[in-house]
Amino acid sequence: MKERIGVYICHCGGNISDYVDVEELSKMFHKEENVVIAKDVMFACADSNQKDMVQDIQENKLDAIVVCSCSPKLHLHTFRSVAARAGLNPSNYVQVNIREQCSWPHSDRPREATVKAAGLIRAGINRVSFSESLEDIQLEVKKSVMVLGAGVAGMKAAIDLAKSGNEVFLVEKDFFVGGRIAQKDKLFVTGQSGKQIVASLYDEIKKQSNITIFTGTSIEKVSGSLGNFHIDLKVKPRYINGKADKQAVKRAMEECPVEVPDAFNLGLTKRKAIYKNYPEALPDVPVVEAELLKDQPDFTAKFASTLNLNEQEETISLIVGSVLVTTGYENYQPKEGEFGYKTIDNVVTLPELNRLMELNPQKLVYNGKEIKSIAFIYCVGSRQKKGENKYCSRQCCTSTIYTSLQLKEKYKEMQTYHLYRDIRAYGKQEVLYTQSAKQGDLYFKYEDKEKDFPVVEKVGKNTIVKVKDSLTARKELEIEADLVVLVTGMVAREDSTHISELFKIPIGRDRFFNEIHPKLKPVETVIKGVYIGGTCQGPKNVTESVQSSLAGASKITALLKSGTVAVDPIIARVDTDACTWCGKCADVCDYGALKVVEVDGKKVASVNKAVCTGCGICAPVCPENAIEIAQYTDKGIESMIDGFMLDVQIQEKEVNADEVQDENAVGMKEYPQVWKEILAGMTDEKNTIPQIIENSKLKGELVTYHLMTMNKYGVVVPAGMDQKEEYFYYKKK
Amino acid sequence: MSKVNPKFATELAKYGSDDFNACFNCGNCTATCSLSTTDSSFPREMIRYTTLGLEDEITASLKPWECYYCGECSTECPRQANPGELMMSLRRWLTAKYDWTGLSGLMYKSLSLSLTAFILAFAGVMAFVFSIHFDMERMMHVGHLFEMIAIGSVAVVILLPNIVRMWYFTILKPKTKVSFKKYVTSITDLIVHMFTQKRALGCDDNQFRWFEHFVLVLAYLSLLFTTVFLDWFNATNLFIIILGYVESAIIFVVTVDFVSNRVKKNKAVSKNSQPSDWFFVIWLLLMGLTAFLTRMFIDFGWLESNKWLFIVHLTVLVQWALIIVPFGKWTHFLYRSFAMYFAKLKES
Repeated sequence: MKERIGVYICHCGGNISDYVDVEELSKMFHKEENVVIAKDVMFACADSNQKDMVQDIQENKLDAIVVCSCSPKLHLHTFRSVAARAGLNPSNYVQVNIREQCSWPHSDRPREATVKAAGLIRAGINRVSFSESLEDIQLEVKKSVMVLGAGVAGMKAAIDLAKSGNEVFLVEKDFFVGGRIAQKDKLFVTGQSGKQIVASLYDEIKKQSNITIFTGTSIEKVSGSLGNFHIDLKVKPRYINGKADKQAVKRAMEECPVEVPDAFNLGLTKRKAIYKNYPEALPDVPVVEAELLKDQPDFTAKFASTLNLNEQEETISLIVGSVLVTTGYENYQPKEGEFGYKTIDNVVTLPELNRLMELNPQKLVYNGKEIKSIAFIYCVGSRQKKGENKYCSRQCCTSTIYTSLQLKEKYKEMQTYHLYRDIRAYGKQEVLYTQSAKQGDLYFKYEDKEKDFPVVEKVGKNTIVKVKDSLTARKELEIEADLVVLVTGMVAREDSTHISELFKIPIGRDRFFNEIHPKLKPVETVIKGVYIGGTCQGPKNVTESVQSSLAGASKITALLKSGTVAVDPIIARVDTDACTWCGKCADVCDYGALKVVEVDGKKVASVNKAVCTGCGICAPVCPENAIEIAQYTDKGIESMIDGFMLDVQIQEKEVNADEVQDENAVGMKEYPQVWKEILAGMTDEKNTIPQIIENSKLKGELVTYHLMTMNKYGVVVPAGMDQKEEYFYYKKK
Repeated sequence: MSKVNPKFATELAKYGSDDFNACFNCGNCTATCSLSTTDSSFPREMIRYTTLGLEDEITASLKPWECYYCGECSTECPRQANPGELMMSLRRWLTAKYDWTGLSGLMYKSLSLSLTAFILAFAGVMAFVFSIHFDMERMMHVGHLFEMIAIGSVAVVILLPNIVRMWYFTILKPKTKVSFKKYVTSITDLIVHMFTQKRALGCDDNQFRWFEHFVLVLAYLSLLFTTVFLDWFNATNLFIIILGYVESAIIFVVTVDFVSNRVKKNKAVSKNSQPSDWFFVIWLLLMGLTAFLTRMFIDFGWLESNKWLFIVHLTVLVQWALIIVPFGKWTHFLYRSFAMYFAKLKES
């Protein structure tokens, strides 16, 4: 129990004191038991008052303080630091909100506002008398990080994390690193190919001794928390004998009799059952699809020493301090018949076209026909009217325009048609749009309504796209194209739900991972120690992906730097005497913070301090009342209720009759100078704006703007229109 | 349903304008144009038709003729797509389109062909003067005769059918219903626009340009009348002689200004000059100059010893009448005024 409490009641310069009788309240609480000081102050947050408070605390040996002012959202930290400066533990401070909760909402009933304030203050005093001095919880953390996904975002972040002295485990589900950018040829702005970027990043990773890459690896199980995540990995075998001769491996690849559609080329080509995504793919070891070679005994016998078909899956357990999720995205796959996809033979998606371009260095050929004109249909699978992909995929406009420039550069004779809803070539990417328009690419804008979407049709041998072009007065135009390309957007990966369940990262309706706050905590998740970067969070281009993953890497480095982490002490705690371990608390806990432990041979619940967020859901479900949240103890809360319910007798504040008459429509003591001048300019019974401008000699816009405001607040009122019906008349109220 | 034809852009580039692909359809050009109205708005629409290659729409349109090229749109264009020059190029293209012989188009597109035509005309004149042994009197006589015959036959064989074609493309083919009465009552518009170019006064640039052009047209038409019907070179009436001097001097002075503007490129309208533009102004200038000098040499009795002067004049005359009038820029005199007439017919 606190016995030397200081209470400060703020006027807020009239914001509170105009309605709540703060002087009366301070007199009242001065007599309260355990209250040593009760003061009303003009601005509690003012520097001078803060100094006074520090002095008060020290001189009077106060053990707790209550400030009754505005919302804690505004000044909780201000007064906590006042307490700390005076040598008082900050958790012995309580803020009571008598502005947003009393004076502002109850300005029409000052007496009741004062009574309510008195109740809240008493509740605050009671609460603070049960407060305890709490210190931040210090957790030891391991300086190691797992980066999930070795795309451009993950690889770059891994390098930065390693350079900052962290042990890094880079885990990739595919057998080769690089992710989606390996499927792209040239990339804006530098013109480097995706594969070049992947190769240089891989090279840099290899130079770092503290990065371990796992390919063909998936996450099986996650437990533990910030500082000590226990993660089980499953590593799939490559079925290649590690000691085999490189030439023999190469021969095996060439001679392999089984062919399947090549997923890396989006099914446009076939590959062998022993394969690499592309010849320079890294790590430089091919993968065998053992399943497919089951019925090829001759082949497997011939390459018995090269292949290792008995290799087993491996499970590896790792402990890491933090996790960076950079699992990336998937390309939107159009439904059958969506703009003729799969139903018309020359309709492909943009990622497919990008693969085609790389596979056709000389002439662009699809289905055995040389392509000389391409119609792009934008926003396929993005900005959906129906369906969950309401978002704009952000990078596809630029990607298409850049592709269009590449097409012209590579194949010379190429006419492109761009059917768009809006071109969003933001920032420096606008340059590309200009270039594209100047090289003769034609742009058509279709309306953002489903019925106005372009239609792809086959007329004889020709493919025709029909579009109602907004730029040509919505005339229906016919475009003949050799190839129709659907500009598909980014969607969340199929396995994002699985990852979300493992790490408990929240996902949105669009199934991308959610950060805590898009502006202020853009790479943090609600799970402490788990960060997100790149396109697993939402559509981004390469630059933005790397920016966000590096932001995550920096946050992690800062977090793990000292080897310990301070967490908020307001969390659940278990009374081990009362606890009988029924498990109900663990059942309701969203974070898995409660586990059973044995204390002196008795099974009781234990709180993982690193994981608990202090949400309080466990406390009410405990049948033994053995669990409570620090600072929110039952005793404390009950005393607040008692305090609030106590009867308060307060005299109604006498209001000076003259003051009331002086008040005007707005409740201002005095109108601003401009308003006075405008009112002075209203010389007639009723005046139009031009007349007032004429009379007042003020600027036209100023008068118009202020007159609108004055009208809104009822200082002036409209009084019909003039004869020509050009202007409204206004008169003073 | 109109079919998009990107190849049209390449075709039109041969008529001068090739910047229009930069257009991003903001419509600043239409907003800034002082002649564009809600009912008949341009040039953005024409730029769009051109980029998409909607030939039928362009052929049926009178809008290129409704523009009098102040150049404001090109100055204001945020993409330097040069809409003014596009409208100019469309007028050239339409001129070629209306011409049933197809020679206009060939000459617009090929400078060497135009030059060949000019050389052939010169050779023809030389062959003729040789054949009559430089007999001054016969040269003068035939020159005068030529003028009359050339005017008549070019009008009947080339210009009239082309006007009919223009009428077919812009009125008949788009199925515009026009009453006979309207054809008659609107004729005043044709006359007014033909002789005053009234519409050009609506342009925001200085009215002096209109005045110069107006004076030039009057001088040109009256000189034509003076030489053909009043037989200026053989006239003895002092009034007629002085009238001819004044007319040819005006032509000379005004065209000198036009040519110097094109050389200096000081206004939007004179920034882009195609060969057809040069031929037109320079030959007009030469006509005025050589006619003036010829009459002066006659008056001073110098012509007999300076036959070359009349040969030059005759050459300029022949080239003008056989090349520039039927297939060159001269036709804008007709198409512009008929466009205003047809536009009036289209008004409901």
